[in-house]
Amino acid sequence: MLVDRIIFVCIIVLAAVYFYATAQIPTLEIGDPLGPKAFPRLLGIGLLITAALLFFEMRKAAKEARPAEAQPHDGDLSHLWVIGGVAVWTAIYYLAFDPIGYIISTAVYLLGLTAYFHRGKWVANVLTSVLFAIGSYVLFVKVFGVMLAQGMIKF
Amino acid sequence: MDTLHLILNGFGVALTPINIWYTFLGVFMGTIIGVLPGIGPAAGIGLLIPITFGMDPTSALIMMAGIYYGAMYGGSTTSILINTPGEAASVMTCIDGYQMAKNGRAGAALAVSAIGSFIAGTVGVLALTLLSLPLAAFALKFGPAEYFCLMIFAMAAVSSLTGKSVAKGILSTLLGLMIATIGIDLQSGQPRYTMGVPELQDGVGFIVAVVGLFAIGEVFSSTEEYLKGKIQFIRIKGKLWLTREEWRRSVMPIVRGSIIGFVKGVLPGAGATISTIMSYTIEKRISKHPEEFGHGAIEGVAGPEAANNAATCGAMVPLLTLGVPGSGATAVLMGAFIMYGIQPGPLLFEKRPDLVWGLVDSMYLGNVMCLILNLPLIGIFVRILYIPIGVLLPLILAICAIGVYSINGNTLEMFMALGFGIMGYVFRKIDIPLAPLILALVLGGIMEQSFRQAMTISGADPIVFVKSTICVVLLVAAVVLLLAPMLFAKVRELRSAPDDET
Repeated sequence: MLVDRIIFVCIIVLAAVYFYATAQIPTLEIGDPLGPKAFPRLLGIGLLITAALLFFEMRKAAKEARPAEAQPHDGDLSHLWVIGGVAVWTAIYYLAFDPIGYIISTAVYLLGLTAYFHRGKWVANVLTSVLFAIGSYVLFVKVFGVMLAQGMIKF
Repeated sequence: MDTLHLILNGFGVALTPINIWYTFLGVFMGTIIGVLPGIGPAAGIGLLIPITFGMDPTSALIMMAGIYYGAMYGGSTTSILINTPGEAASVMTCIDGYQMAKNGRAGAALAVSAIGSFIAGTVGVLALTLLSLPLAAFALKFGPAEYFCLMIFAMAAVSSLTGKSVAKGILSTLLGLMIATIGIDLQSGQPRYTMGVPELQDGVGFIVAVVGLFAIGEVFSSTEEYLKGKIQFIRIKGKLWLTREEWRRSVMPIVRGSIIGFVKGVLPGAGATISTIMSYTIEKRISKHPEEFGHGAIEGVAGPEAANNAATCGAMVPLLTLGVPGSGATAVLMGAFIMYGIQPGPLLFEKRPDLVWGLVDSMYLGNVMCLILNLPLIGIFVRILYIPIGVLLPLILAICAIGVYSINGNTLEMFMALGFGIMGYVFRKIDIPLAPLILALVLGGIMEQSFRQAMTISGADPIVFVKSTICVVLLVAAVVLLLAPMLFAKVRELRSAPDDET
């Protein structure tokens, strides 16, 4: 399986990076025979053993799967673009969170998402986005005493 | 007599008006979280921890536990009505529950899962009450080396049993442990892997990881399902009650499900989901009409639903008595304990009996509340499912933002949660289980501490980890658990080999 091969390579790279980063930790080693590096080193060794184990599993799977090599592959990957879009839109929302404030950024964020996923229902989408943004702010900040970004609207 | 006194005293704590209110709030929100597809108990607890800051820890934990077992009740509703599990442990309920709904018996399916859950939940709390003290007394013998071995065992069990591949399970555990090493090392005061980012000095918050992996990642996965096909909703028809025949057929599956669920819940790694699969398989095997399974057999709903509720009670046993959770959701609960400055484990039974027994006893009451919420009042919760998925998923993402921001008021943590969300989505696709990661992240700090304490006591001699019988038993059990899937495969291969040659 291609995916497992990629995971295998990632584990090796991760182990190398982790070993390197562990070596960079400054140590004083007073009163602590192991210091802050010992446990991470064990984890690094664990990663290498895991890579070996995965390699073993991959070989076994390859042996078993050979007759039915042609795996059904769903060629339609358009949903990945949509999910990527949601992730980017979410990142923009997080960027706007502090400067613009919770209420406005959340209302705009929700409006953007519902415009795509709940297409055509403009009235419902606008109402949901605005009412949720205001309602949740009041509930969490005023009732539960939770901290949320105020931004431009202060109340 | 003293024990009885402590348990009764716990009722005194659980039955104060404020704690009754928090029990109700917990099971109410738990039921909602259970009903909502795309958000399970682990994410629910993680998201709601910030609103409990400043609350009395006992009340907060009563509420958190309520969310946990409340979600098990709610999860079945979604399985039965839209054929999508509301949370992972309701997967098996989809098979026959949805078929029952299609056959016009949605009311009976909902009723049997609520009643089965109630019976199993109550039996489970009773078993939890009886088992806790002896186990906690035994756990007092544990030193740092034993604790380290116990955590190795718990992690091995979760790695081996939650995914399809042991290597990927272990990888998930190691990633969790590695993330736990980020931040200032408490013993030496040295920063580790912080890359100069001041916010990372306190480490990666477990709520950030939980919300990312279990809520944001799950929303991404649900979005994909939503884009790929339509989810069909079946309205409740018929009375919310069982016929005499349905009763007769449900009783024994509930009893068996309760026992399987509790035992599986106590053992680390197995957890609620596996207990439901086991219950379903057993019911099908011993049934006189196995052909009905998959077409709306009530036993296929009663057994698994009882099992997942009993398992939640069982899972509280190692969490409370040993301080070592055995599943993703209890790991999040453990994280909540630690955030309130409470270390679960045997000493807690001595230091804070009011908290332990208040929490356990609140579960008796919580189960009664769940029964009421999920039987006569289920219609209210079903309305949540009327909300179009295209609106629901964005709302969950917005709630995730509130949950993460409200911890420290830090947008960097929101980006980290988004990163965990993408990671969770990808991991689901490539079959890397998430529960081991979260368990390791919560236990990582304590595990390293016990490791270093044990090594300090022994003068850096690793023999300390095989000196006591408890250690040896736990380590051998861990190795057996990790190797079991491979050994089974080998045995199967050897058995089938002669057939291939002919």
